[in-house]
Amino acid sequence: MKKRVFLIGGYKKTKSLAVSLLKKGYEVTAINGDMEKCVVLSEIDDLAVIHGDGSKPYVLEEANAYNADIAIALTESDADNLVICELCKKKFRVKKTVALITDSKKSEFFYRMGIDSVVCAITAIANIIEQQAFLDEIATLVPLGEGRVRIAQVPIPQSSPAVDKMLWEIKLPREVLVGCILRGEKSLVPRGETRVLAGDVLVLISSDEHEKAAVRELTGA
Amino acid sequence: MKLPEGKKGGGNIIIVGCGRLGANLANTLSDDEKSVVIIDQNKDSFRKLSSSFGGKTLVGDATEISVLTDAEIEKASTVISVTDRDNTNILIAQLAKELFNIEEVVARLYDPECGCVYDEFGIDTICPAVLSRKEIDKLLGLPSGDE
Repeated sequence: MKKRVFLIGGYKKTKSLAVSLLKKGYEVTAINGDMEKCVVLSEIDDLAVIHGDGSKPYVLEEANAYNADIAIALTESDADNLVICELCKKKFRVKKTVALITDSKKSEFFYRMGIDSVVCAITAIANIIEQQAFLDEIATLVPLGEGRVRIAQVPIPQSSPAVDKMLWEIKLPREVLVGCILRGEKSLVPRGETRVLAGDVLVLISSDEHEKAAVRELTGA
Repeated sequence: MKLPEGKKGGGNIIIVGCGRLGANLANTLSDDEKSVVIIDQNKDSFRKLSSSFGGKTLVGDATEISVLTDAEIEKASTVISVTDRDNTNILIAQLAKELFNIEEVVARLYDPECGCVYDEFGIDTICPAVLSRKEIDKLLGLPSGDE
């Protein structure tokens, strides 16, 4: 059976999420309080669209949200998103609830109220911009646990002071671990004696943004 | 003016939303010698307060934790959220209960359907439609069809 996903509120994010989730084979329903937006959303093939306030139980009922797999609250109001997720969780037994929030200070509180995943768009975007602007050396950076832990992929240039050094000779912050070295086709799990070569790609696991210091050490930037 | 701490209802009372109900409550409680802090996003709303109102007024968005801290919520024994939006009242009530362990938390909800979800959080909800219905039943001498 297809997994059922509800996208509640939101417009541009809902549009792109809906398209991407439908492509992945989910059964997607969008709920929106704005009639005009509903009309545009309904142009997406296979997307079910319900017009109404998603924080009202009768609207969720009409959309048949009972026992859905995922509900994602994307309205502009943190309060609305909290109520939507709580209703989905408590009244409609939705398995996983996701809330978008604007005020990052409330994210811990949202988790405490039983919401499974809290996404703060502003913090996430600010982090991405910072990475793009200051750390061109990092090819990819994956934040986990709200960005407290990050996995970074760092290519080693010829100019790097780390080239031909053994791992233990490189002064990396304690909070950073080299999890893997990608060398050509091979991937190796490094030990202290493993030598870093130019062209290697190091996979770093770090906590609390310490990867910046590590990247400086590894690339000489 | 302050009543001794510790006694039930002895701490500050925070009212969020200075509409007709909020202002009325604030005036009455203040006349009753209670120490009241009333929060509203709009400064002009405080014009509804009577000239004898002796509490504090605070302009700000009470869904922000920093605004609640400015209102000295840690010293409060009661939080009453009566803005004109149900979901805002729910959010504020839950913040008060869960983050600040406020003893008495009251939220007004226009939509009676949402109430059931919040019973388990220990938040008291009042719903004008339900109250009016009960009152009308009383006036008409009908047996009150209580839930």
